[in-house]
Amino acid sequence: MDLKKTVLTLLVPLFVLFLFTGNGHARGERGFDDNEIRIGQWGPQTGPAAPWGAVARGSKLVFDMVNDEGGIHGRQIRYFIRDDQYNPSQTMAAVRELVSRRGVFAFVGGVGTAPGLAVQNFLRQNEIIWVGVCSGAAAFHDNPWLWNIWPAYFDEGSILAKHAVENEGFEKIALLYQNDDWGLDAMAGIKARLELHGLELLTAVPVEPIERDLSSQVARLQASGAEAVIGIMAPTQAAISLRTAVSMGYQPQWLHSYNLCDFDLMNHITEGLWAREGVITAAFTESPYADTPQMIRYREAREKFAPEERWGMNYLAGIVVAEPLVWALREVGPELSTAAVRDALNSVTEFQEAGPVLTWTADDHRPPRSLRIWQCGPNGEYNVVQDWIENELVYEK
Amino acid sequence: MPFGHLLIEGLAMGACYGLFGLAVVIIYKTSEVVNFAAGDMAMFSTFVAFHVLAVYGYPFWIAFVMSLVFAGLLGVFVEFFFLRPAKNPTILGLIVITIGAQLLLAGVASWKWGAEQQAFSIPFSYQVTYEIIPGLVISQWALAVFIISAVIMAFLYFFFKHTKMGTAMRATQQNKHAAKIMGIRTNRVFAFAWALSSVIGATAATLMSAKTILDPQFMMEPFLRAFAAAVLGGLMSIPGVLIGGGIMGLIENFFGYAWPAWKPITAFVVIVLVLCIRPSGLFGKHYVKKV
Repeated sequence: MDLKKTVLTLLVPLFVLFLFTGNGHARGERGFDDNEIRIGQWGPQTGPAAPWGAVARGSKLVFDMVNDEGGIHGRQIRYFIRDDQYNPSQTMAAVRELVSRRGVFAFVGGVGTAPGLAVQNFLRQNEIIWVGVCSGAAAFHDNPWLWNIWPAYFDEGSILAKHAVENEGFEKIALLYQNDDWGLDAMAGIKARLELHGLELLTAVPVEPIERDLSSQVARLQASGAEAVIGIMAPTQAAISLRTAVSMGYQPQWLHSYNLCDFDLMNHITEGLWAREGVITAAFTESPYADTPQMIRYREAREKFAPEERWGMNYLAGIVVAEPLVWALREVGPELSTAAVRDALNSVTEFQEAGPVLTWTADDHRPPRSLRIWQCGPNGEYNVVQDWIENELVYEK
Repeated sequence: MPFGHLLIEGLAMGACYGLFGLAVVIIYKTSEVVNFAAGDMAMFSTFVAFHVLAVYGYPFWIAFVMSLVFAGLLGVFVEFFFLRPAKNPTILGLIVITIGAQLLLAGVASWKWGAEQQAFSIPFSYQVTYEIIPGLVISQWALAVFIISAVIMAFLYFFFKHTKMGTAMRATQQNKHAAKIMGIRTNRVFAFAWALSSVIGATAATLMSAKTILDPQFMMEPFLRAFAAAVLGGLMSIPGVLIGGGIMGLIENFFGYAWPAWKPITAFVVIVLVLCIRPSGLFGKHYVKKV
């Protein structure tokens, strides 16, 4: 009994202390002071999805450039990257740590639908600015604290099908898709577009992200007689399916997601087949080798700040998600606050640097609905075969 | 239905699963430990071949032989430094140690060779094909898989039946203490079993790498399939594992063609069904101990 009383006497004050003690960043404005602004991003630096970890490191380049130029209104950007291994439970732990212990002001990027969904409510409830989740899932589009850049997968599917039918003249189209929301959203877009042209998908064949033998799936595509195959899947499965198809003597026109528009990587892992087969992909950025002043500046900065990084699309994607936040931080001036940055992001109109054209309002944070179509040239070139096309179809889930 | 293609590809992939399953079975036969590090040991050795090929520019066969030597040493290393120091180990404890070794190898491979995918060519092209009879096309890769599997199978048959070490391995599996009393140095037997298993695993992984893409996770899924093949054929039966692998490859390919959405779970359904109906596998002997 005495022991019980002693434990209670000790625990109750501790509990009260725990409830009413702040975390050091909760009072006043969180995330910055006169010298620094704290920005965070999670991403898979290790584990199966680690090639996408370059996104978080790409954002670092933008912040390094900003800091090198003296910061924003006298404040340096302090940037935190956390490795979540593409595991939503680790994403949650990383984001909580960054918010409560590091007092992060805003997040940029964040690879993956499932990791993003795991932290969406937490960030929304805490009113933390988040720019450019790396996912085109529709579930992110009505969050007032998230400004979307990644085009919706529905729009992507619709635009790829539109290009296949209207520009390439294909009528027999099949789909090879990753069996999750990504593949299913894109499939809805493809079906909606084909229906508009009085066509139907010949077959839709699912693959799982861990599968390494795709012979039976490719045999099914071949048996369908499809002359064009739209692929919505990860680079590994795309490379394996292309190699398998070529070895079976099946050479349809492949049209892939914007997540596979890193032609350097795809050519490397398919040993040049990506170029030889002239694979088409969607895209929402400038070509990484474009001779625009912006892209030249980034390439030079990469050589200066991160010469060990490969200059590829994942790295560029990290740059794209950081640009609007840097613009907004500059726009608000020295009187920084969460509300001021939110208002600045809500006023983004026709903003374009390395990424797509962005327009956000207080009520609409959806991503752009336009994509470009690229084709891998015989020497791995990034050929633009169709410039920005807008999807006008509406997703009815 | 492209019957010929599904048949040949199913059998070739099945032979790879069977070969890789042998790596699991050899260790299980001597120590009753299921080696969950088998996939990553094979992955690591394949990366060594890739490294020798891509960084030092040696011809494929030199790189391959060096990777096999490395695989043998890696097997001995894992047995000597991870399993042997365990005091009074239970089988479960040893299995957990192999899981630890697997995580360590995956981490080191990601650190050393990066997480991005790599292409790894072997001389047996998946894209060079021969039409043996009209409608039945076989790739150079599939042909190599069949020949190499048959050679390894014949070697193992001879090894276990007609060599001293093979007999010692069988004796150690049946009764470790009795084998010790009979003068068999069981620690050496275990180390040799790990080396042999690792070499066969590396051979299977090299063959599989021609069909897939090299990254630190590339043996994760084949390991599950190979394990299913081993369970199907019988964890104690070496020919059973190869036949199990063939059946597994065929089921997966034909099933995957007819119902692609269900293809990934085929291996697990096979494991569950076999464990329910015939726990010792199709070709394994079911021993009942009297108490």
